[in-house]
Amino acid sequence: MYIYNEVDQKIVDERVEQFRDQTRRFLAGELSDDEFLAVRLMNGLYIQRHAPMLRVAIPYGLISSPQLRKLGHIARKYDKGYGHFTTRTNIQFNWPKLEEVPDILAELAEVQMHAIQTSGNCIRNTTTDQFAGVTPDELEDPRPWCEIIRQWSTLHPEFAYLPRKFKIAVTGSPKDRAASQVHDIGLHLVKNDAGEVGFEVLVGGGLGRTPVIGKQIRPFIEKKDLLSYLEAILRVYNLKGRRDNKYKARIKILVEAMGIDAFRDEVEAEWANIRSSELVLTDAEIERVKGFFQPFEYDADAANDTSLQQKLDSDEAFRVWYERNTHNHKVPGYTAVVVSLKPQLEPAGDITDLQLEVVADLAEQYSFGQARSTHEQNLVLADVKNADLYAVWQKLAEHNMARPNINTLTDMIVCPGFDFCGLANAKTLNIAEQINRAFDDLDYLYDLGEIRLNMSGCINACGHHHIGAIGILGVDKKGEDWYQITIGGSDREDASLGKVLGKAVAADDVAETLKKLLETYVEVRTEEERFVDTVRRVGVAPFKEKVYAAAH
Amino acid sequence: MPLLIDRKPVTDDRWQLVEDAESLPASGDLLVPLALYLEHKDALTAQSGDIAVRVNGDDDLTPVLESLDSFPMIAVEFPAFRDGRGFSLARILRRAGFNGELRAVGNPARDQLGYMERCGFNAYEFSEEVYSDDFLKAFEEISVHYQGSADDPRPIYLQS
Repeated sequence: MYIYNEVDQKIVDERVEQFRDQTRRFLAGELSDDEFLAVRLMNGLYIQRHAPMLRVAIPYGLISSPQLRKLGHIARKYDKGYGHFTTRTNIQFNWPKLEEVPDILAELAEVQMHAIQTSGNCIRNTTTDQFAGVTPDELEDPRPWCEIIRQWSTLHPEFAYLPRKFKIAVTGSPKDRAASQVHDIGLHLVKNDAGEVGFEVLVGGGLGRTPVIGKQIRPFIEKKDLLSYLEAILRVYNLKGRRDNKYKARIKILVEAMGIDAFRDEVEAEWANIRSSELVLTDAEIERVKGFFQPFEYDADAANDTSLQQKLDSDEAFRVWYERNTHNHKVPGYTAVVVSLKPQLEPAGDITDLQLEVVADLAEQYSFGQARSTHEQNLVLADVKNADLYAVWQKLAEHNMARPNINTLTDMIVCPGFDFCGLANAKTLNIAEQINRAFDDLDYLYDLGEIRLNMSGCINACGHHHIGAIGILGVDKKGEDWYQITIGGSDREDASLGKVLGKAVAADDVAETLKKLLETYVEVRTEEERFVDTVRRVGVAPFKEKVYAAAH
Repeated sequence: MPLLIDRKPVTDDRWQLVEDAESLPASGDLLVPLALYLEHKDALTAQSGDIAVRVNGDDDLTPVLESLDSFPMIAVEFPAFRDGRGFSLARILRRAGFNGELRAVGNPARDQLGYMERCGFNAYEFSEEVYSDDFLKAFEEISVHYQGSADDPRPIYLQS
């Protein structure tokens, strides 16, 4: 992974001191609420329902054991003993004290971490495939490009006061595990006709009030042109994006309003000005950054392991977990493990100080000292020897991180909702619990197959409800929580937005409604058809009939 | 109004802001909003003093870019704290070769000054109520940068 040099460290250290002074000036009344709002948001600090919330960056989801331990320490010392992983692969702490935040940031800087640009109208943490660098279906490891973007976007002087937030995702595989099509910019490593690897560029995707699938602005740019092209898009957006209404300020609205062709023309015109500038990436710089993401020294003997098969044959619970919670590794004898942060009765994505330390230890002992966070709010140990999987599973199970539910209905993406968030209209955690209680039968879940269930407590869509095969959106109706359900969304390479099922259902009826949806699916599906495929084939109507017929 | 030029407080500002066509002075160094300038270009260039223009994110910069050399100073307006269009305007003006004074007006915030300087500003005008000499510290809070800036466009890895 990328290791800070003196420059990287100095930037983070100076940013801590800058924020310490900003906090001091705010507390002394020298900095207005509005100005402090902008500077604290650009350092990941929100004021929430109960307390401030601090969001810490995990660049493209890659994190080391010492960093995980530091997060555990912060959870214990400054918070209530836990943190929450987000769909931007960051972690947020819900109970820090405002005046202690500079100290937390100083502690983070000790392990090359920060909270820079985890919020605010600026370029946010770049995300990628959680199996980057290890998945067999990959064209090229996207992480060096994420790091190049991280450096370019960090404290970028021109793009700190954009019309609205700006999110970039990079994928290196035709399989999209980063929801790249619903990002302000989606970058796909692709090969052109000449066999060169470069980027397909999508622009104007996003969720929130107006969900939009990103549009292709360029089928191919050369690698060396990555930053000049990004800068051209950002400059056009910064100058032309709407600033009169924050709900219409994302780049997706600008692209829709101008039309992708006119927007492309503006970007190309700007790009012509800077295409040959110092933004052109040098081979030396690309190689320097790639050097931090070289494959580990894998054990050639790992493929000869026979113990895994024996354990799979003899331990049913282990076999079930192995089938659900692991991903193929491109190196024979190794496997990527998904650490489920979706236990039955805890909020999705939450992790305790002890669990953070357990994952740190497991990473150190079995996975080259690194872990990844996923946009589905789980963790990954990407490089585990097959012979070690049983030990890893046992430890994860002991600490409630081995629920074998990855990619099933209960692997839900859930925002914190009204219990924590100042923006939310409705609770989400109680609904997630209701669903978890109702769908406790693993065999039934496995029979249902891959279903992405996403839930948001308000229209801002932090829980990505539009792109869930089943999406649940909490709405407030006269002081009561109601839930609008959408079906048929996807965050993968076949990205699509879910369609509204019908009128919202009451809080107590959510799980029961899901049961009817799933019964319909089981009735009409063909073999090998995922839930989302069935919805696409038969439409919303049969599901709607089933759900609403019984109510009358 | 408090004014910083090249990181130093300046007490006398030679520019007189004119916002009304009715009261165009016959002489003096005048700062004129772009629209007004374009409307009264002939009269303004005929008077004896220098002319500077004030632009903002709603303006089309083309006429300014076409005659950059005629302006010793260009003022870029920041109409609201969160309106960041001025950062891009500065980049575009410097990139086009503007070497004169580039001034941020409309109450730039202390915590934006470092970014503004790197985008090409070298002058900043504040209201009396907000300014303090503490603002001078803002330029050096972050001393190293990944990106190039107006005075040195090379990213950090190309700088020795």
